[in-house]
Amino acid sequence: MNMQDAFSAVLLDPDTPYPQGISCHNGDIERRFAVYRNNVHSGLINALATSYPVVWQLVGDVFFQAMARAFIQEFPPKSPVMSTYGVQFADFVEGFASASSVPYLADVARLELLCVQAFHAADACAVDPHLLIHALNNPDSLGQLCLQLHPGVASLHSTYAIAALWTAHQHQGQIHGIDPYQLQSAVVLRNGLRVEVFAVGCGCAAFVDGLKEGRALELAACQALEADPDFDLGQALALLISHDAITGLNPTAEVSP
Amino acid sequence: MNNKTTRTLSAAALALALGSALSIAALPAQAAGDMEKCFGVAMKGHNDCAAGAGTTCAGTAKVDNQADAWKLVPKGTCEKTSSSTSPSGFGQMAAYKAKS
Repeated sequence: MNMQDAFSAVLLDPDTPYPQGISCHNGDIERRFAVYRNNVHSGLINALATSYPVVWQLVGDVFFQAMARAFIQEFPPKSPVMSTYGVQFADFVEGFASASSVPYLADVARLELLCVQAFHAADACAVDPHLLIHALNNPDSLGQLCLQLHPGVASLHSTYAIAALWTAHQHQGQIHGIDPYQLQSAVVLRNGLRVEVFAVGCGCAAFVDGLKEGRALELAACQALEADPDFDLGQALALLISHDAITGLNPTAEVSP
Repeated sequence: MNNKTTRTLSAAALALALGSALSIAALPAQAAGDMEKCFGVAMKGHNDCAAGAGTTCAGTAKVDNQADAWKLVPKGTCEKTSSSTSPSGFGQMAAYKAKS
């Protein structure tokens, strides 16, 4: 083990003494190293709390800090970019025994990761509405049309009311009257710099999944209807169009002069 | 039965859905021109731009309702949005000094 590996191993484990071979010019090395280690841990905990604010609110500060500390020891950062830190957090939460009394916590974390990824996704402009109208005027090829979605668009199925829980923890949200033990699907959209979460039927989420995987309109719609016979294609398309989430059509229709 | 989908949708059904979607979507769209810059209402990290010297762009506000960070909001709503840092109690159209 080289010195850097030894240093970072000791840094992450608070129960080990400070690494051999280091010294400092301003006082007791053991105390100085403890301060440094504490700063590293708090910085990473803060990064997780910023990425997972609803999880943090659901379990409270003390529990969140303890859970984050355990996560950090198992999954130290591999990159200096903190916005990508913690992608394994939801899976970790799912297996974290002390959190088992809050079974919906892991799916809320999955939803919040999608929100972070949507926030940092590349920009993409909405498709020219004339191209959509043009496609509408050629109904025979409509079924084969592929809709490209904004890179931030994502969907999630859950056995818990994740979208309602998420919404309840935003600015003016109300937690009263929410039953977390309800099946719910969510679609995450970013419009400008604003990330929004919508509670949708499982058909709509399946439709978004299909489009993201590159399926043509007819196939994606049929699979959505199989997932949910009440799937409303018009409503799903309206949600995507009104939030500038459709960024291209393929094969790209030519606008006639 | 294999898992290949056997259901089909008619061209007319698809056209109807897309047509209704376009008419719904055209109604509430909030054009960028109908927005105004509002200081003091952004949650930390969610400002659209400007959060003091040295940090000039999106997502850099350090605290909720930071006085020198702004967010685009629908026109006319800024001075009705509550802000914990604002002396008036609401968002403002220009950066201000946070009350202590």
